[in-house]
Amino acid sequence: MNRVLAVAWREFVSTALTKGFIIGAVVVPLAFIAMIPVIVMLTMSAKGPAVEGEVAVLDRSGSLMPAVERELSQEAVSQRRERTAKAAADQMDQINPLGPGAAPAGSTEAALTAALGSAPRFHVASLPPDADVEAEKSLLIPTAAEQRRLAIAVIAPDAIVLAPDAKAFGGYELFVRPKLDDRVIGDIRAGLNAAILQERYRVNGYSPEEIRRLTSIAAPETREITATGERSSTEGLTAMLPFGFILLLMISAMVGGQYLLTTTVEEKSSRVVEVLLSAVSPMQLMTGKILGQMAVGFVLLFVYTGLGTGALAVFGLTDLIGPVKLVYLFVFFVLAYLMLASFMAAVGSAVNELREAQSLMGPVMIVVMLPYILWLPITRDPNSTLAVVLSLVPPMSPFAMVMRLTSTQAQEIPTWQVLLSIAVSAAGAYLSVWAAAKVFRVGLLMFGKPPNFRTLIRWVRMA
Amino acid sequence: MRPEDRQQAKGVVVTDAIVMRGVSKSFGPKQAVIDMNLTVPRGALYGFIGPNGAGKTTTIRMVMAILFPDAGQLSVLGRASAVESKDRIGYLPEERGVYKKMRVGAFLRHMGRLKGVPGRGLDARVRAWLERMDLADCERKRCEELSKGMQQKVQFISAVLHEPELLILDEPFSGLDPVNTRLLRDLIREQHAAGRTVIFSTHVMPQAEQICEHIVMINKGRKVLDASLPEIKARFDPHTLLVEPLDGSAEGVLAGVDGVRSVSRVDGALEVALEHGHDPHAAIRAIVRAAPVSRIELRRPTLEDVFIEIVQGKATNGDEAALRAELRGEAEAVAAGEGER
Repeated sequence: MNRVLAVAWREFVSTALTKGFIIGAVVVPLAFIAMIPVIVMLTMSAKGPAVEGEVAVLDRSGSLMPAVERELSQEAVSQRRERTAKAAADQMDQINPLGPGAAPAGSTEAALTAALGSAPRFHVASLPPDADVEAEKSLLIPTAAEQRRLAIAVIAPDAIVLAPDAKAFGGYELFVRPKLDDRVIGDIRAGLNAAILQERYRVNGYSPEEIRRLTSIAAPETREITATGERSSTEGLTAMLPFGFILLLMISAMVGGQYLLTTTVEEKSSRVVEVLLSAVSPMQLMTGKILGQMAVGFVLLFVYTGLGTGALAVFGLTDLIGPVKLVYLFVFFVLAYLMLASFMAAVGSAVNELREAQSLMGPVMIVVMLPYILWLPITRDPNSTLAVVLSLVPPMSPFAMVMRLTSTQAQEIPTWQVLLSIAVSAAGAYLSVWAAAKVFRVGLLMFGKPPNFRTLIRWVRMA
Repeated sequence: MRPEDRQQAKGVVVTDAIVMRGVSKSFGPKQAVIDMNLTVPRGALYGFIGPNGAGKTTTIRMVMAILFPDAGQLSVLGRASAVESKDRIGYLPEERGVYKKMRVGAFLRHMGRLKGVPGRGLDARVRAWLERMDLADCERKRCEELSKGMQQKVQFISAVLHEPELLILDEPFSGLDPVNTRLLRDLIREQHAAGRTVIFSTHVMPQAEQICEHIVMINKGRKVLDASLPEIKARFDPHTLLVEPLDGSAEGVLAGVDGVRSVSRVDGALEVALEHGHDPHAAIRAIVRAAPVSRIELRRPTLEDVFIEIVQGKATNGDEAALRAELRGEAEAVAAGEGER
């Protein structure tokens, strides 16, 4: 046992207590999290260049020009942009996991306004009704000398007044020059739409104010009622939380497993392995290595769950995870890690260099990634047949079960299913460690041709 | 188990370090070791010799319980398997390496812990050995910073650090310069003098000749010789004379001397092969009478000669030259020279 611990300790020290690990696995992710607000701010403050140019309008309806000129004025365009920004900002505040009001009031809006850039300046030109549309269109093609015309709008004759026997109004066709910023196109369309609506209201005798009143509904944000009080809905978190958990589980298990693969291949290729085998049995060596890297995984798990629960605690949302779920997380981490790690150890012992390991790892990674790919269906309906089956079939079981457990949907996961999943995963872990030990023993001293799956299976049978 | 069997097993514990009975091992179609019977008594200094690929390393790995025999029985230090007596065995494998990124001191302490050396005194022991090996200033260096020869010395320390009863060294001299070869030779003799059983393998016969008391020769997976050095010298009685004639005409004359089988010119001297069973002293007298000579001596059979003689039935002349070169370590010298550059 001492020997196993000595191997484990060396494994842990040589992996976790290195500058590379501390920086790569702990400092960088933390710094990245700290950087997110800065990155968001930077992206949002990026402005598009101001656009200026001619918009030609061929008004076949005959009465639209004044409204078009009004609605495409720079003032009207920038007002519309502000309204859009405000609506988007409200939306974003709603889904902000920290709840509305977490961001300083108006900051999101300001950021969005900035993001939309300064409003373009349109010069509206009216084309005579008999103008040659094809000839006008050709003016959109930029020449070396100038490229001032941005767009041509051709308004249908029945855009304002319904044609006899027609069920719907006509609209307009818009032609733009190549590579026009889609936000500018949006501005033109919005301006034309507004102009047409206003003109229709006027012709039919409605007041635009009246229409706006009739079509807007006041509905404040959804509130969630919990034992500890009222708070804004956690809809966003409901989807994000299982994703976060599964990512955590995946990263911790994968990092440990990946290091295990690397150190095993290194021991083999540097030929230190035979020296080791003169002191410990292959089983002791493998056990020690698996335990050592499990400790590495635990370090990651502790660091990140600590941060995560800390963050949730700050916003009073700890009841979303709860201690029982954390215990389950750790249990399933151990099981997931054991399955992954024993596979990594087997592959590491069988190949001569890391490159050869890739081809063996691909198929297994896909199987393990399956629940990860299916996270949305699983978390939306954690008791669906798909979710239940996945959570009972190793090696996906730990990942799928953690997803089900952390889903904040109202459904309770039957305890027997959780326990069965643990039992099945434990059996899977035992089986994979057993098989890996056999491959490990044979593989360590085999050099030469890189093995394939069939060889590995033969070694399991042979040993 | 019958009482006499137990008695016998007990006897093994007392007297023999290694016992192999009919041990065979094959890898796929290749038979690496065939029906090996071997007894190494405690306190002996044994050399396993044979050309590359003869089965030396496989035999040693089976002794170390790193490989397991397909057939036959094996006992090491009185136990059925080395697994149970690993702490009492020191092993320097042929395929050896170090943790490149680990510091020398840390590596040796790790190996010591794995070998069950008690934590207290481990530091002092490591330091003493590093001093002894002229590596005292390397304790804080990373293993990858050391030269290959230095790494090999570090590995030797890791093999003897726990003061094993049985020391197995697989090709311990490969890659060492003459100074370190001598240092290692002295250390091996010292370990032997301290009463430890030492087994080392080499494909370089002169090295074995210099150190060993007892030789086990392996060729193509089979043991072809198992005898002490004096026995070998006695058994393979000399029947070659080295003659340096005073003048060049002697060659023809010598061929006619009674008992001479053939005469060949080797490096300016004449090698006179005698007929089997012919008394060499009589031949010397006859030669001196027949022609004036400046030097005449009885050529002692080297291990190389013995080995060649044993395997000769299977080898043609071209093979023999290559085999001789290999057994003298010439191929290795070339390889080492390449390594230096």
